[in-house]
Amino acid sequence: MLAALPSLETILQTIAAGLLVGSTYGLMCVALGLIFGIMRLINFAQGDFLMAGMYFASIVLTTLGLSGLIGGIPALVVAVLLAIPLFMLVGVALHWTLLGRIGRASQAMTEGELHQTQLIMTLGISLILANGALMVFGSTPVSLDTPLSTQAWVLDPFGEGEILVFLNKGRVAAAAVAVAATAGLYLLLNRTSLGRRLRAAADNPLAATYMGIDVTASHRITFGLGFALTAVAGVMVATFYPFQPYVGIDFVIVMYAGVVLGGMGSIIGSFWGGLIIGLVQQLSTLVLPTQLQGTTVFLVFLLILLVGPQGLFGRSVERA
Amino acid sequence: MSVLGRFGGSALVWAAASAVVITGALWPAQAQDQKVKVALVAPISGPMARAGELMRIGAELAIEDINAQGGIKALGGRQMELVVEDAGDKVETAKNAAQRLVANHSDLVAGTGSWSSSLTLAVTEVTERASLPWVTLSYADQITDRGFKYVVQTVPVASQLALDSMPTVLEMAEKVGGKELTSVAILSDSTAASQAFVKPLREGGFEKLGVKVVVDEVFTPPLNDATTLVQQLRSAKPDFMLFYSTSFPDAKLVLSKMNEFGLGKGKLPTVSVGVQLVSPEMLAAVGGELLEGLMVVAPNWTTKAQADILPELTKRSGEPWLGQDTISTYGDMWLIKDAIERAGSADHEPVMAALREMDRTDGPADYYLGDRLAFDENGRRVGGAVGIVQWQGGMPYLIWPTKDALKEPLWPSN
Repeated sequence: MLAALPSLETILQTIAAGLLVGSTYGLMCVALGLIFGIMRLINFAQGDFLMAGMYFASIVLTTLGLSGLIGGIPALVVAVLLAIPLFMLVGVALHWTLLGRIGRASQAMTEGELHQTQLIMTLGISLILANGALMVFGSTPVSLDTPLSTQAWVLDPFGEGEILVFLNKGRVAAAAVAVAATAGLYLLLNRTSLGRRLRAAADNPLAATYMGIDVTASHRITFGLGFALTAVAGVMVATFYPFQPYVGIDFVIVMYAGVVLGGMGSIIGSFWGGLIIGLVQQLSTLVLPTQLQGTTVFLVFLLILLVGPQGLFGRSVERA
Repeated sequence: MSVLGRFGGSALVWAAASAVVITGALWPAQAQDQKVKVALVAPISGPMARAGELMRIGAELAIEDINAQGGIKALGGRQMELVVEDAGDKVETAKNAAQRLVANHSDLVAGTGSWSSSLTLAVTEVTERASLPWVTLSYADQITDRGFKYVVQTVPVASQLALDSMPTVLEMAEKVGGKELTSVAILSDSTAASQAFVKPLREGGFEKLGVKVVVDEVFTPPLNDATTLVQQLRSAKPDFMLFYSTSFPDAKLVLSKMNEFGLGKGKLPTVSVGVQLVSPEMLAAVGGELLEGLMVVAPNWTTKAQADILPELTKRSGEPWLGQDTISTYGDMWLIKDAIERAGSADHEPVMAALREMDRTDGPADYYLGDRLAFDENGRRVGGAVGIVQWQGGMPYLIWPTKDALKEPLWPSN
């Protein structure tokens, strides 16, 4: 059954919601796309990295009481700034102790075998993180009471006061951080020597090694960056979304759909993929029952696989 | 041989006689020491663990009080003992818990549980086969639709709750707010519990009451954003909203979004279902200001009838207030105790017969909503009532039925 014709206000509100939700999805997809694009690693623990960022925000804002000491918004800025180096280090340590050790044990190992071992390892990390959080934080959902989460900026696009568009402050802040973090990553990858080394390690690991680039170190930095970006997304999402130890699973499908839509291996493409998924998810409610909102993500996913498996910005040829 | 020879048979006779005397003297004391075991099967782990914890608090408080008041007098003052099994969060774990219970405690007299109707359906499959009398707060119709002989429901069933609660809301709006309600928006999640409640109202229930359904949206949990749902409420401008979300995060998202869109704090009168919306966790997550005026349909809640014991019970519980789960389980223990007293036995058959014949307006009836505490031939509650709880000043109070209510209802103005 199709919904009745929506009003202009509803259409504008839905587009705004889609852009805001999509931007946050974009950052999550960028982090996953970075890890896959450079390391070719299928990371099943990505949703749990997001959860870790959410609980980190809860610790900084509520447990340590920073929100009460310096105010909600400054505390949030501190949480984001602390999350980047901290989770970068955790990511590097995880790669150093676990993931880096399951690479090519022998040169005879096929690409498929390598993916299988990585997949099992990240699945194991995911289970440990989720159940560890359950032991430490319990199963009761946590919700951060910040001024951003329940307040909105109200836009009056035609100046007549009849059509109003509400923009949730928490969502706007999360979208702004997502765009800034993606832009920062783009500049890092394209304008710095570190970025060139990372891209070289991704494009042709063997040639990069011949050129004196430490591919393992590049992967380690990439994994740390990916973890840090996901945790930043988690900190921002925590300002408006209640969470519990298994919250990651709610976002993993969206992340993969966004990365596939943007093109596996394309980091900027991943951002656009996430943004489009968010828009499709919200706009679908204008024509379909809300109950099918989640299904549209799978529809987009299937359509990409059928029509253009390389995605919007992906490469249609195998890497060298 | 020499010893026997010296004292002969008389020594043996004396020894035997002494043993009989000593055993006879000890026998009544041992019988009195033997405790009357009652069970609680509730989710102690997993996502529903909080509800199970609240039930356990209620059961433990009741057992303490019953024992402090002399135990079960009909059985010579025997004390009651609680046995707790973790139902987990799945049908399989609940069934296993019930099986463990009946296998390890053959001397159980009766039990209560298991919060979620799906868990209770599984548990009662086992307790029925063991002929173990079972009392439950779960309100799915199916629990007492199966022709089981050993289960009673202490609150009205779901279909009755849905059809009885809305006329109550309309009556309350008219009496308190002086407003006739003619339009409603329904927001519900796609879970079985939500749809079982909403279906009879959607399919003619509201129409019979003269209320037009202007928005009827079903969403699949978890919601990622509630903007499009709340935008529909803003456009349709209903007189009130019926909101049924079984998930705490989804409920929080919708209530926060309503506030953001200027519909919160009672501007759009909202009636919800599910005690998670009147929990301390909800207050911590959403804040009292946002919850003010929100009404929640509850099968049971603390009432005026418990006014004398409530402050002390609440203090002992360590909770900020006592809600449906704690007070119901507290009452269940008194209900089982009352049945044992009247049966004069701790055997399953007479205890179950006493439960079925229950018809009280005082005693254990004080712990449940309604005029009478009785059960029909299927074990369904007779004389029960639908309760409405409302957030007022950061606390949830029973506001309806008025004779049991602790506060006057407030009908939020549009």
